[in-house]
Amino acid sequence: MLQDLINALSLGSIYLLFALGMSLVWGTVGILNFAHGAIFMFAAFVSSVITDQVRLPLPALIVIGAAVGALLSVAVQLLAFQPIMRRAKDHRSGEMQILIGGIGVAAIPLAIAEEVTGSNPFGFAGSSYVTSTFSLLGVRVTSTQLMVVAAALVIGIGVIVWLRFSRSGLALRSIGVDPETASLMGVNRRVLSLSTMAVAGGLAGLAGVLLTYNLGAITPESGDVLLIKAFAAVILGGVGSMAGVIVGAYVLAVAETIVLTQTSGLWVDAVSFGFIFAVLLFKSEGLFGRREVRRT
Amino acid sequence: MIAWYDTNIILIQSTFVGLLMALSLQVPIRFGVFSFAGIGCYGIGAYVAAIMTIRYEWPAAAAIGAGMLIAGVVGYLLALTVRRLGGLYLGMATIAFDLIVGVLAVNGGDLTGGPSGLFGALADVTTLHLVLISAVVIGLLAYSERGAIGRRVEAVREDPELAASMGIDVRRHRQAAFVISALLGACAGGLNVLLRTTIAPTDIGFSLVVLALTMIIVGGSRSWAGALIGAMIFTWLPGFLEFSGQWQKVIYGVIVALAAIWVPGGLLGMMTDAYRSWQRSRRDAGSGDGDRTPLGSRAEGTPA
Amino acid sequence: MHFGGVKAVDGLSIDLTEGSIFGVLGPNGSGKSTLLAALTRFVDLTAGSLHLDGEEYHRIPAATFARRGVARTFQTVRLLPGLTVEENVRLGADRIRGRGIRERGKGDDDVAEAIGRTGLRGLERHRPGELSYGAQRRVEIARAIVAKPRLLLLDEPTAGMNQSERQEISALLRELREEGLTQVLVEHDVQMMVDTCDHLFAMNFGKLIADGVPASVVREPAVREAYLGKRWSEHV
Ligand SMILES: Nc1ncnc2c1ncn2[C@@H]1O[C@H](COP(=O)(O)OP(=O)(O)O)[C@@H](O)[C@H]1O
Ligand SMILES: [Mg+2]
Repeated sequence: MLQDLINALSLGSIYLLFALGMSLVWGTVGILNFAHGAIFMFAAFVSSVITDQVRLPLPALIVIGAAVGALLSVAVQLLAFQPIMRRAKDHRSGEMQILIGGIGVAAIPLAIAEEVTGSNPFGFAGSSYVTSTFSLLGVRVTSTQLMVVAAALVIGIGVIVWLRFSRSGLALRSIGVDPETASLMGVNRRVLSLSTMAVAGGLAGLAGVLLTYNLGAITPESGDVLLIKAFAAVILGGVGSMAGVIVGAYVLAVAETIVLTQTSGLWVDAVSFGFIFAVLLFKSEGLFGRREVRRT
Repeated sequence: MIAWYDTNIILIQSTFVGLLMALSLQVPIRFGVFSFAGIGCYGIGAYVAAIMTIRYEWPAAAAIGAGMLIAGVVGYLLALTVRRLGGLYLGMATIAFDLIVGVLAVNGGDLTGGPSGLFGALADVTTLHLVLISAVVIGLLAYSERGAIGRRVEAVREDPELAASMGIDVRRHRQAAFVISALLGACAGGLNVLLRTTIAPTDIGFSLVVLALTMIIVGGSRSWAGALIGAMIFTWLPGFLEFSGQWQKVIYGVIVALAAIWVPGGLLGMMTDAYRSWQRSRRDAGSGDGDRTPLGSRAEGTPA
Repeated sequence: MHFGGVKAVDGLSIDLTEGSIFGVLGPNGSGKSTLLAALTRFVDLTAGSLHLDGEEYHRIPAATFARRGVARTFQTVRLLPGLTVEENVRLGADRIRGRGIRERGKGDDDVAEAIGRTGLRGLERHRPGELSYGAQRRVEIARAIVAKPRLLLLDEPTAGMNQSERQEISALLRELREEGLTQVLVEHDVQMMVDTCDHLFAMNFGKLIADGVPASVVREPAVREAYLGKRWSEHV
């Protein structure tokens, strides 16, 4: 029981690290980035390739992963989303093209990783960091799990605090609420969007490295699965709400853990898909989101 | 010719199955409904056809028909369920629907063969059947792109409120889009499973959504011809890219990304635009000046 | 009709008799468009009722109401960019088969007639994007009249047109009235309204502030104050 809770906590933390960036971008810049999963995976992949050559400690890999994620994310924004936004005739068609464009660009890093690994799982065998396992009260906890949980909570709360109290956080929230007024007030939307994408990509890279350590290895395709799960966590909490995504990620993880322990395990994925469906149908603003006001 | 046909029979069949599958996503998009449910219905059609063939030894037409019927009903119910959703949210809800179909297939026990799927769905489906069915589908869709129906669909997609002011029942059209999509998807799934004799849950995941979507993005979303172009490209391209050796998947990715970003209308859209501007220049050159006076310059901003 | 706390149209009762042009006058934001939306079932009433031929219709969908022979235009241009001018007009023609249509001639003739009457001949094969703003607005009018509706509601149809174009539209609307078409016209051009309409409603803040014969409505102090300002007071 306690073991299940620990597992749920670390699973939820991975979801959270992944979903935070996605939610941040979606709730403020208004982009649902379908390349987020590929960025996540590719950051871990690059770290893996590097540490196969040079034996690196965990902090170095985290820095590499976050940097690759941030760079990739900025590149996607510059090369894909900005051109699409410029050409879109209205928000609705822009939204769709962003989704499709995200799926399109995601194909490139995925193809590269699949090509190099032959679609086999990759990990950090070359890294100098070795996961150690503790046994407390009959519960097994790994050092990586502890790190994942700590990172998720610190970063999650950090993002909330940053959005609420810093100048740039405030500016970012304002473009999420009312882009036009925000630009009138002198908020530089372009720069802000780019830095938000960088932060989101960095978080994705961090999540990629930590998850790879946590699982031992991941496949190039694992980004897609996480993308759908993170989407479930985001809408469960409510788009635009950072506290919401934290709650959403852990609720999803707990629900999945319950299903995992109570059934054969093959129903686990139904949880996130079911959440998506149910939330969209019955409570589209999620648990903490604000109801969208659309004017004609 | 015969030799070419024999060596490429799998690719030829895949082209038509891919076409039907791509159409199952394209039709709703043409109606302005961003639904990916066609892929889930592909799964339903494939499983129902396989089950009917393996367990009950139904003839191919009946097995596929049963899949289409069930998928059609599911599609209609789905349309009722998600009627309040639009745009992105509808897209994601229908992706969730597709993935749920996969989870059901995994957990279907003996009926669906669980994670390993079903084998031995032997039936007498031939390439000729496939081509004939595709031809009928194309004929019907081409008809729906012209005349009064074509204009109505255009209005429903571009401006639902305007369509309503013209007396067009937008809700019905949306429901029809779901049902047509379901029928097309199920038909593709049923045909494919009877040609290949196997189906597994991994065959109907998110990557199938991406593949079908890719065909439409690159081919063009406005007409059946776009889906055909896309289906041909993505069935045959891997073969042509063999010279590029191991990087063919990357090239493939670049093509998809470029099309998604820079050519929203797909290849077909590019050709249509080119044709129209040629037509326009010919018309402007050919007609007298009286024709041009009322044109004026196009107003830049619209007065409030 | 209320949007949350905003009372966009409030406590207003109007009666449209057949074969006349009714004008709706009022400053921006006074609720004219919302009134048209309510009449054509594009927004639900918060309170009140709607009747056509003595029959209540405030619960039927907008599309069903349109099929009873009611056509409308919107304040902004709403043409389908992918269709030619002729196809856009034809869209209006191939809809209505329901009751309320006085006649339904051959589609082609109707389309040609509507295009001719709105001065669009020669532009049939152009796409909306190639037309001037005024021409785009005329396509909308053609699309609305092509199905020979019995009631036509126009929301600022001449916005963005020049003086002579306005006069042409005004003449066309009066001609249509002679053929028995009932119309509701929202416009800002007071002179045009006085010249065109048989009856005027003046609105402000969602309320009816005057109604009656155009010439007398525009003389009412409340109307001048709300909408016409000095310009018109000096004018009269
Ligand atoms: N969808 C809506 N939500 C909230 N308020 C609205 C909406 N549509 C219109 N309004 C408000 O209702 C009032 C009347 O608007 P409208 O009917 O467009 O005026 P008019 O056409 O006379 O300029 C305005 O105050 C406007 O802001
Ligand atoms: Mg208005």
